Amino acid sequence: MKFNKALLAAIGLAFSVGAAHAQIKVGVTVSATGPAASLGIPERNTADLMPKEIAGQAIQYIVLDDASDTTSAVKNIRRFVDEDRVDVVLGSTTTPNSLAMIEVAAESRTPMISWAASSRIVEPVDDVRRWVFKTPQNDQHMATAIIEHMTNHGIKTVGFIGFADAYGEGWLEHFRTLAGLRGLDVVSTQQYNRTDTSVTGQVLQLISANPDAILIAGSGTPAALPQRTLVERRYAGKIYQTHGVANNDFLRVCGRDCEGTFLPAGPVLVADQLPDSNPVKASALTYIRAYEAAHGAGSVSTFGAHAWDSGVLLEAAVPEALKVAQPGTAEFRAALRDALENVSEAAGAHGIFNMSPTDHLGLDQRARVMVQIQNGTWKLAD
Amino acid sequence: MKFELSPKVLMIVLVVLLALAPLVLKPYHITVLNYIGLYSMVAIGLVLLTGVGGLTSFGQAAFVGLGAYTTAVLTTASDLPGWLAWMGWSPWLSLVAGLIVTGTSAYLIGLVTLRLSGHFLPLGTIAWGISLYFLFGTMGLLGGHTGFGGIPPIAVFGYELRQGHQIFYLIWLFVLLAVITTLNLLDSREGRAIRALKGGMIMAEAMGVNTARSRMVIFVIASLLACASGWLYVHMQRFVNPTPFGIHMGIEYLFMAVLGGAAHVWGAIIGATVITVLKQWLQDILPAIFGQAGNFEVIFFGALLVLILHRARGGLWPILTSLTQRVVPVRAEQRQIDRNVEPLPSRELPSKGELLLDAREVTRRFGGLIACNRLSLEVRAGEILALIGPNGAGKSTMFNQVSGVDVPTSGKITFLGKDVTGKTSREIARMGMSRTFQHVKLLPTMSVIENVAIGAHLRGNRGVLSAAWRLDRQEEKRLLAEAAKQIERVGLGDYMFVEAGSLALGQQRIVEIARALTSDPCLLLLDEPAAGLRYKEKQALAELMRKLSAEGMGILLVEHDMDFVMGLVDRVVVMEFGEKISEGLPEEVQKDPAVLQAYLGGVE
Amino acid sequence: MDLQIALILGQDGITNGAIYALLALALVLVFAVTRVIFIPQGEFVAYGALTLAMIENGFFPATMWLLLGAGVVVTLADGVSAIRAGQSRKVVGIAGVNLIYPLLLLALVWSLPLRDLPLAVQVLLTLLIVVPMGPMMYRLVYQPIADAPVLVLLIMSIAAHVAMVGLGLVFFGPEGYRTSPFSNARFEIGPMFVTGQTIWVILSSLVFIVALALFFSKTIYGKALRATAINPNGARLMGISPMLAGKLTFFLAALIGALSGVLISPITTIYYDTGFLIGLKGFVAAIIGGLSSYPIAAAGALMVGLLESFSSFWASAYKEVIVFTLVIPVLVWRSLTTHHMEEEE
Repeated sequence: MKFNKALLAAIGLAFSVGAAHAQIKVGVTVSATGPAASLGIPERNTADLMPKEIAGQAIQYIVLDDASDTTSAVKNIRRFVDEDRVDVVLGSTTTPNSLAMIEVAAESRTPMISWAASSRIVEPVDDVRRWVFKTPQNDQHMATAIIEHMTNHGIKTVGFIGFADAYGEGWLEHFRTLAGLRGLDVVSTQQYNRTDTSVTGQVLQLISANPDAILIAGSGTPAALPQRTLVERRYAGKIYQTHGVANNDFLRVCGRDCEGTFLPAGPVLVADQLPDSNPVKASALTYIRAYEAAHGAGSVSTFGAHAWDSGVLLEAAVPEALKVAQPGTAEFRAALRDALENVSEAAGAHGIFNMSPTDHLGLDQRARVMVQIQNGTWKLAD
Repeated sequence: MKFELSPKVLMIVLVVLLALAPLVLKPYHITVLNYIGLYSMVAIGLVLLTGVGGLTSFGQAAFVGLGAYTTAVLTTASDLPGWLAWMGWSPWLSLVAGLIVTGTSAYLIGLVTLRLSGHFLPLGTIAWGISLYFLFGTMGLLGGHTGFGGIPPIAVFGYELRQGHQIFYLIWLFVLLAVITTLNLLDSREGRAIRALKGGMIMAEAMGVNTARSRMVIFVIASLLACASGWLYVHMQRFVNPTPFGIHMGIEYLFMAVLGGAAHVWGAIIGATVITVLKQWLQDILPAIFGQAGNFEVIFFGALLVLILHRARGGLWPILTSLTQRVVPVRAEQRQIDRNVEPLPSRELPSKGELLLDAREVTRRFGGLIACNRLSLEVRAGEILALIGPNGAGKSTMFNQVSGVDVPTSGKITFLGKDVTGKTSREIARMGMSRTFQHVKLLPTMSVIENVAIGAHLRGNRGVLSAAWRLDRQEEKRLLAEAAKQIERVGLGDYMFVEAGSLALGQQRIVEIARALTSDPCLLLLDEPAAGLRYKEKQALAELMRKLSAEGMGILLVEHDMDFVMGLVDRVVVMEFGEKISEGLPEEVQKDPAVLQAYLGGVE
Repeated sequence: MDLQIALILGQDGITNGAIYALLALALVLVFAVTRVIFIPQGEFVAYGALTLAMIENGFFPATMWLLLGAGVVVTLADGVSAIRAGQSRKVVGIAGVNLIYPLLLLALVWSLPLRDLPLAVQVLLTLLIVVPMGPMMYRLVYQPIADAPVLVLLIMSIAAHVAMVGLGLVFFGPEGYRTSPFSNARFEIGPMFVTGQTIWVILSSLVFIVALALFFSKTIYGKALRATAINPNGARLMGISPMLAGKLTFFLAALIGALSGVLISPITTIYYDTGFLIGLKGFVAAIIGGLSSYPIAAAGALMVGLLESFSSFWASAYKEVIVFTLVIPVLVWRSLTTHHMEEEE
């Protein structure tokens, strides 16, 4: 133990000498293990690809895993702010983890960019959330897109089946509220667990309620099970998925049963199909190329792109902050926060960010498209 | 004289170190220490429950959750129902509320699951652990799976504990309180009963311990410790969601207790420290070895645990103490026996010749086998009756029927004029019957005097709370003085403070007699007390028994050693194949052809 | 709820119950012979399913490396103790089983066109890779402390489980896999239908249970295992080595686990961490059988499967709550009816 302490101290010393005037420290906590691993792993992989230098300042990333657990997430951010004295914190992957971290971020006056979906992380922008930003589209954004698509296609009644976790819960909450506003009737809501081996009971309930369409709110490959069971039980209505499924593993597992499924997603999912006029296309393709160069063709997922977008925000904000203060100081962190709040027209893989003192997400309608699964691939739907 | 530190000094050193920690250590190290403290409290509960009491629980994380959620809901509720609003929920009030909620839940859960025997219990704890975890997630009131924040920090006299180093003192105060109360409790009348749960239930019941109650006591205490940990956790985290209270955390708490040394209270803290620090450390070191991926911690962790347990089954604490003992010798606290203390009141012995025990036509069947068939015997005050017979004749079975360890299939047993058929051994013990066991039932890691003091269980009445806060010391002195007296009486005064397991088997039998005597019986049941004794020791034992019977005690004796029996006892009952074949004075029985037949294979 | 739904749910429950039954049998067996509560049983299910999935997708199955790694460690451990005991000759045999076998298999898997093999061969390869890990695991994790109390063995099991889940994530990644069914047949019986795979699962479970029964009653090894379960000391005196019994038991447990995984992976998606809950439910069934009775454990497994299926219909959000809460009364009942055996620890 003693030796290691000495070693760590030596390393710390080496860094602090080097960091005297040219290093920005970024603390990254991701859920690379545990239930949210399928989201966290591409994010962690993306952290490797993020800018190594901005405006002549070397960027050092300290990546920790929080095992999809709030306690570890808070432990990690405390370490970042107390021990590593980072200038900005990125992550975590899940909503509960991010919500648990914001108090620490505010208390230590460190800007934080979350990679989780819920709008509760950044809304309302109060004393605590002043320090918190996020890159993924709010669930409401995505839910609105689905509901619009449903009402446009004459759907009146919907069944819902979602994860029994924060992801499914967030979706259920927003979807139910927004659907009510648009006159859609949610006739049955069911829950299931990520690792369940059978959802026959839930699917029978859904089918017996006879909805025009069914929305499945799950992330990654586990979202395929309800769909396959629905198809097996000869459900004839439309099936919608959420952007949580947007990776190629989902297509592999779901196979033929997912043909024709609609889902909302960030434009990065179908970047190559976007018209060249779309401002997101170029930045999305940059990310895809970077990721696939490192991890192989077809490996990209939209979740990694959320992480990438926080790099985009930093690239936009850091030069501004550097004009005010040196990294490693409270002034720099405050300046970075101010600069993040003033980011405008930053093109990320998921959309164009325009932050403001009341909007710490900054995405608009350009950050989502409807996608349909056709012939086992993602197709931009109109 | 050898230099030795007293444990008190060590304790003070620890407290001083803890007090200085926030001034010396970096803030993040304090954060880690805070988590260690929180985990330690749960692990201490598990030491009590699993290591000491033998009840394995995977569900402690759920109790942490109950404490956390109770306070989180109450301190953030904006619109409390009218009848609660007056309290204006400060965290301190909600701690009390949490303890009540958790204690009550634990009591109710315990009512059902503590009846589970053997391996059913761990599974039972997994079952309710998982149930509670999913309930936290599905109940809308509790913020669902996403959870909720905005929980206020704890305030002490208006001073808010927001930062890690502020709550640090509170956490470790709680930990020290938990350690001290647990250590106090274990070193008391109730504590000895609890320590007897693991491996000595039948014996403890026969000494009048209500083992079901003792199990419940440690179950509730462990749940309260977990609840307090949850309370501190949530006000430190200021956010609550279900993931920290799942079965995985329940498993991890058990890891901590077992790794540290499940039988030692301090081991809990060692276990919590090692696991927390190791995890943190692996997160730094492993990516450097394996490159980017961060998944290797758990693998390494699992493998390490296997290796450690291969080398140290009892956990790290025993190893640690034996290592440090060489560098910094710590004095083993030896008990002082206060001989001047007022002796415990003793029972009025029945007058000589009065009928104590009357067993009529007692039958016990095990399936098709009749171990005891319509056996009758009686014992009078001041009399020594021997029950003899070849191996497997059913003598010990008869003993178990009489002492309430087992229930006869038919027949009637009267003790002191009251029908005790079907009564528990505990009730019978209370009436004044005490016994020893053929297969010695001592707790090998406890000292002789502690073992013997279990016999005095029914002669004290101080409970858990007074034990935890040392309000029981006067009574404790009297109990120990009584135990010491009986140990000396049976001639083992030199061995009072050694571990019972280190004695020779014959001596252990004598310790059992001392234990039985400590309960102040009027009828003593001795199951083969002379086995394994040397000639001199046998003589001393016989002398003791004569003395006891002269005082008016009745003694029922099962014995093989004919020489020992014949010179000592007043009457003999001979059994064979579950039936009485002869009864009478020793010299009569010796001549009985049926007896000779049984013992010698018949006379020509 | 009408009869049709009840029938479908019943069918679903029985299918899952059949798998739980297999696992419960393995758990009862392992506990009876070695006193180990074998939590990692579920991981063998996941490893079996995912290894098959890797082979099917034409990837080199990463579990192969684990087999090789475990083989190396076992060879070292056994080899050193054999040499210390002066039995250097044994080393060849030890290396043959633990080192040469994985190497040969590695070469075979490396050279075969995995994706194009017939399903039966893929399944066989999967079993060849996964099943030997069972006895190796016994050797490395449990054998050194075979006489420890049940609690310590249980903690060992959990440690092994944790490590195996971690390895699973490294090997297979966070996403799930589903393999192609053994049969695409689909039978319609009135309003309900049965897929060929469901029939495969139920029939295989039955066949396997019968095979196990025959193994225990007819073969010398089976009888030896039964003897060890009933009286370890007696069995040892009769020349049945507890070490051999342990390895054999773990071989069977791993076989049952991997086979269960191969059977259900076409019906559902399997993840690196699926094993725990499946294993836990098998464990519940095993405990209902008192960790000693095979038929009651199998019945318990069916009960758990049905309970799960029906509660997911009635109250999906509370499914696990219902399943695990209703288990408690059953446990109490079992606990009261089992003869109270005190304090063997």
